[in-house]
Order: sequence, then structure tokens, then C-alpha cells
Amino acid sequence: MLADASDAPRITAVNPAAAACRLAVGETLADARARIGALQVRLAEPDADVADLMRLARWATRYTPSVSLFKEHSGLDGFFLDVTGATHLVGGEKNLLADLARRLKAFGLPARLAIAENPGTAWAVSHFARTPCALIPAGTEAETLAPLPVEALRLAPETALTLRRLGFKRIGTLIDKPRAPFAARFEKELLRRLDQALGRTPEPLPLLAPPPAYVETRSLLEPISTEDAILIATTHLMQNLVPKLEADGVGARSLNLALYRVDGALQEIDIALTLPTQNPAHVTRLLGLKLERVSRFLESGFGFETLSLAVTVAERMVPHQSALATTSEETERAQRCTALLDALRQRLGSERVRHLEPVASHWPERSEKQTDRRSEKQTNEHSQNSNPEAAWPTPATRGLRPSLLLPRAEPADVIALLPDGPPQRLRWRGKVHTIAHAQGPERIAAEWWRSKTPEPTRDYYVVESGDGQRLWLYREGIPGRETAAPRWFVHGMFA
Amino acid sequence: MPSATSPSNPNRAEVLSELRRMLSRMEGVAQQEEARLSFGLPALDTYLPQNGLAFGAVHEITAASEADLPAAFGFFVSLLARTPGHGPLLLVLSSRKLARCGTPHGDGLADLGLDPSRLTLVETANEAEALWATEEAVRARGPAAVAGVLGGKLTLKDSQRLSHAAREANLPLLLLRAGEAADVATAATRWRIGAAPAARDRFGLLSGWRWHATLERCRNGRPGNWMLEFDHATHRFGLAAAMADPSLACGGAT
Repeated sequence: MLADASDAPRITAVNPAAAACRLAVGETLADARARIGALQVRLAEPDADVADLMRLARWATRYTPSVSLFKEHSGLDGFFLDVTGATHLVGGEKNLLADLARRLKAFGLPARLAIAENPGTAWAVSHFARTPCALIPAGTEAETLAPLPVEALRLAPETALTLRRLGFKRIGTLIDKPRAPFAARFEKELLRRLDQALGRTPEPLPLLAPPPAYVETRSLLEPISTEDAILIATTHLMQNLVPKLEADGVGARSLNLALYRVDGALQEIDIALTLPTQNPAHVTRLLGLKLERVSRFLESGFGFETLSLAVTVAERMVPHQSALATTSEETERAQRCTALLDALRQRLGSERVRHLEPVASHWPERSEKQTDRRSEKQTNEHSQNSNPEAAWPTPATRGLRPSLLLPRAEPADVIALLPDGPPQRLRWRGKVHTIAHAQGPERIAAEWWRSKTPEPTRDYYVVESGDGQRLWLYREGIPGRETAAPRWFVHGMFA
Repeated sequence: MPSATSPSNPNRAEVLSELRRMLSRMEGVAQQEEARLSFGLPALDTYLPQNGLAFGAVHEITAASEADLPAAFGFFVSLLARTPGHGPLLLVLSSRKLARCGTPHGDGLADLGLDPSRLTLVETANEAEALWATEEAVRARGPAAVAGVLGGKLTLKDSQRLSHAAREANLPLLLLRAGEAADVATAATRWRIGAAPAARDRFGLLSGWRWHATLERCRNGRPGNWMLEFDHATHRFGLAAAMADPSLACGGAT
């Protein structure tokens, strides 16, 4: 029994025992307590209910990828499965219904199920028919719906109440009535719902996730739990996917492996690739590396009974390398390289494998960015045409740059002979360096078009201490013009 | 075999080089002449048994002191840049000591002769991952060269694995050991790099970095000691002339 606290605590759900005592949903708790002394009450947790329903809906993707949760007006207590073209996998609609009922019962969920031509009828039958499992043949919607109450049309409570007051208690009394008076008296909703239930207008369903174009599912006789078994099963799935991919001339850029646990939990593993692939061995290897990393989070419990491999991103297989590389050996090397990068990304995380890319900016922090995709290698010719500025500047066009740049410039205490002169002594990280040679300044002005509050100009010096340590120093602000007491920072180290 | 060749060939140096080649063949080091990392500096290349740093072997670089780490990194990068061909290069970074000195900066790497677009940086969270990534990269035989900046201790087994992988893939594997004791037991060469005051041109401007390079260990070769100079403009190694007057020292670079 559940009670909800709004104005006065009201009952939101009852169990069979309470229903037998004639307790009804909507009654206040005080009334119910007055009638039945031994009433047990639990607080309702709508958020947890929705989360659980979501989990169950994701579990149900084992039957079909098109799953849609009930919306507010349908009462958040179930979901639609679009099983069009998916029933033959479990041996027909009847078997599907039986299988679903059996599994839900095993979870301790006595569900009411219905299969019909359209969502409206299925909803009505599942909520108001006497049998818990119903299969409505096509074309019999009207006669099935006729004896059901008007609430079965997913109407707002007020509309249903008005209909009842007017004497329309069953859907059958509405079906053949002239439409104009209803349209005048009620909102459009009534007629729309009626049409949807009778299959006269289509009802699009908001799906949990768009169904992937390429998906392969396999149910196992015995649940599996070891990594090796998962890998073997995935290889089979990928091998089955390959003909479909080949037929369309595409390769998988991103894959999603869904593991359905015996107890209804769903675990998903995503694999992203640098280049589209059709190679099952490559996919399996990447998955193995990924599993190594996520094995801590993967709870096999009593094992996985169904595996589903979906290609979430498919891309046309373009022979990138053969166009660029001159020999087959080079092509092979490039392929091995992408395979290696994929493997490193799966095992270490994609943000760990990076390439340096130039940015057209003279401000040292912004002169490069780290990307996880190598773009300039694959689209070498394009990038030169479309984006000529994104090339590494030649050393001749700029001053010396340190090979190691500090992520954040670190303040240092500097003694200079003149306020705008080169540094003489430097204290940094608790050590005093006597500067034997200072080369500079190289003045770098801030990019005024970027921010409203202008950053101070920097005067960069390459300094060398007596023992050969070479640092990249800058003075922030032009003394006398931008600042009275300039501050010094160490920004990098030279070889 | 050597006994058969030595009486017929009186040239002692030739016999020695023949013996060296046999030794390296027995050890499975690459034989192709182009399969080596050459310094482009005859004085140094001929000193080394393979006319440069051999492919298919581990080369270890250490810093003389912690303050010399940027210098050692510079030597390491400029060597990596000398990898022949245009294949991609892979750099595994895991050392916290190097991270304290900064992160590789594309423009600065270009100053050391390394094309930044060739480079792939792999940063790892711990030593075990770094070792795995390094070995994986070598075994994949995709990159033209693999380099690693490894911080933690390397056991004998780890270094054996790495050199075995390098030998099988016939790739050079450069390891920069950031401030750790030199402990790659199977390294073909081991260099210790210290920073030295840079070379200046006649106007007093910096024209080349200088490093004290000590070859501490060299398989089939002798240890040695050089003052190396890396020219900014030509990206070439040179031997610094041991002259007191820095204004005359610029001749050593060319």
C-alpha cells in the first residue's frame, strides 16, 4: 500500500489484500485508517518508480529496439513495444507474449500485456480487459473496444467524467455517433484518441533511442558470465553483421554491445573506432581491451542470457589510405597504426591518446590544441586548401619556443637592473638561478578581440642560467604604461 | 670463421668490424644499413657499432641530474625526429617528473626538428599502463618509432619484454628515464645527458643547444663522451669545439 503526501495524505496504490478490503485509490489516508486499523502504509516514490520502469524498458529492448515509455496522460505505468517485424525472432506474437509474461513473472511483476495493431487498442486492452494477456487480431479493434469503459481511451479525468455524466459509459456507445457534436462539446482530444484506438489515424511513439540500422541479437541457452565467452559471442554477432555492412558498403565507426542479465539488468559497452571497420577480429580485440578496463564495473551476476550488438554509427568505407599511400606496405602500416590507436583508446580512454594541432594564434597558450582525432593526416589535401592558416608556423617566422611548456605560467621573483630590462637573477621553485645570458625581449601582445578586459602584454626572454638550464620567462605588462610593478612568470623550458 | 679470415686479411680494423657484424647477427640486431637512427654526424656515427643507433633495440636516455631533464628531453626528441621516413611517431608519457617541467609544445618540438603532426601523444595514468602501451605500440609495428618517458622502476623482466618486442618489430625504442636510476638492463645504448651553456653566434644570440652527452653503455662498442651541439636552423647535431672563446665556437656547429 502506498500513500502520497499532497494536501492530505492520499492512497496512490493498493495491493490485492487492500483492494479486497474495498480500499480505493484516491481515498484519504485518514478515512482508510478509520475503516481498517491494521493498515500498513509506505510512502510513494514516484522518481524511483520511473527509474525502475526505465530499467525495465531498457531490458525489453531484447525483444525490439523500438521501446517507448507511457507518457503522463497514459499513466506512467508501462511501455509500448513496437514488435513489427520482430516477432518471428521468438516464434510469433503468441510466443512473444508468453515469453514476456513468463519472464516478467520471474521478476515478480504480474504484468498485463496486450498485442494489437495500434498502441491505443493495446493500451486499452491491457488496462481494462479481463484477461491479463490478450492478442487482438487486426480488424477487430472496434468490437474489442466496444465493451470497455471510456477511460480506456486515455482521456483526461474531467473528460471521462463529463462523458459518464452524459451517459456514455462504454466506448461502444461513442463509436458510431456523429462526430460534429462531440467535436463541438469536447476538446479535439476525444476524437483523436478514439481515432487512434480504432487505428484511423497513426500514433507516432517517442522511442527511448532511435533503433540502430544494423543490429544483431542472440539469445543463449545457458547464461554466460566470463569475458572469454562474451568475446566469442560478440565475434559471432559481428560475423553475422558483416554481410549486411558489406551489402551497404559501410563499416562500423561506433558499436554498442548490450548484455542482458538473467535478472533483468542491462549492461552496455560502447566501442568507438577511428576508421570504419568490418573486421570482426578487430572489434573483438577492442572489446577485449575495453573489458579489461571496465571489468570492475561489469557485474555478471548470474550471467548474461542475451547479447545484442548494434552499429550505432555506420560510415561509408572510403579507401582513405590507398589514395595517399604510395605502396601497399605503407597502406598496411597506416592500417596497423589506426588499429593501434583504437586499441590504446579502448584500454586507456579516448582522451589519453592525442595529437597536436596548430591554431592560428600567436598567444602561446592558444597556439596549439590537443585533439583526439588526427585530421590533417587523412584529409591532407583538403586541409591545405580549405584552411591554409592551420599549419605549423615555420621556426623562421617566430622566435624560439620551448619544447616543454608549463600548463600554467608560474610566478617567479626576478631582479632586473631596469624595470624594462632583462632579468639578472631569478628565484623560482625555491631555487635561485643566476642568469648568465638573457635573449629578448620578444613582445607578444594579447588578443584584444577575444576578451573585454585586455590581458597585459608579455615580454618574453629566453634565459640561460650558469649551469645551462634554459627557461622561457615573461614579464607581464609594459612597465610604466600598463603596470607599475611588473610581475615575472616562468612559462616553459628549453632543451 | 674469424680464424679463416684473419690470416688472409691483415687489416686489423676490418677484422674487428667483421667480428662486430657477426656478433650483432648472432644477437639478432638489424643488418640493413638504413635501419638505424643516425646522428648525421660522422664522428659519432662511426663510433657506434651500427653506424648510429640500431633499430630493433632499446636505447635509454637519462638526465645527469633532475635539473637536466629538459635537456635530456630535448636530446630525446631530436633523436626521435631523426627517424627516417614520414611514418607516425608515438610518444608515451607517464612520468610525473617530466610533467612538472611541462607538456610537449608543438612549436618547441618543431624547433627540435620534429614535425608535430607526425606525433601521437599517449598519456597514461600509471606505470603499468605506460609499459603496456609502449609494448603494444612496438608490437603493432604501425609507428615508425616509439618513444617512452617512463618514470617508475623497470624490472629486468619488463626491460627484457620491451627489447624483445623492439627486436621482433625491428623498430627503435627510445626510453627517457626521468630522474630514475638507469635500470633498463637490456638497453643497447645508454646516454646520460647534461645541460651545457648554449652556443652563440657572433652577435651573441643563441644559435644552438649544447649537451654533455655521455655514452655510458654501448653493446658491442665503447663508451664515450661528447659535447654535442644541436643547431637551431639546420636541426643537425654537431660537435662543439672546445674553445674558451664562445664567439669562435660557432664553427663547431657547421
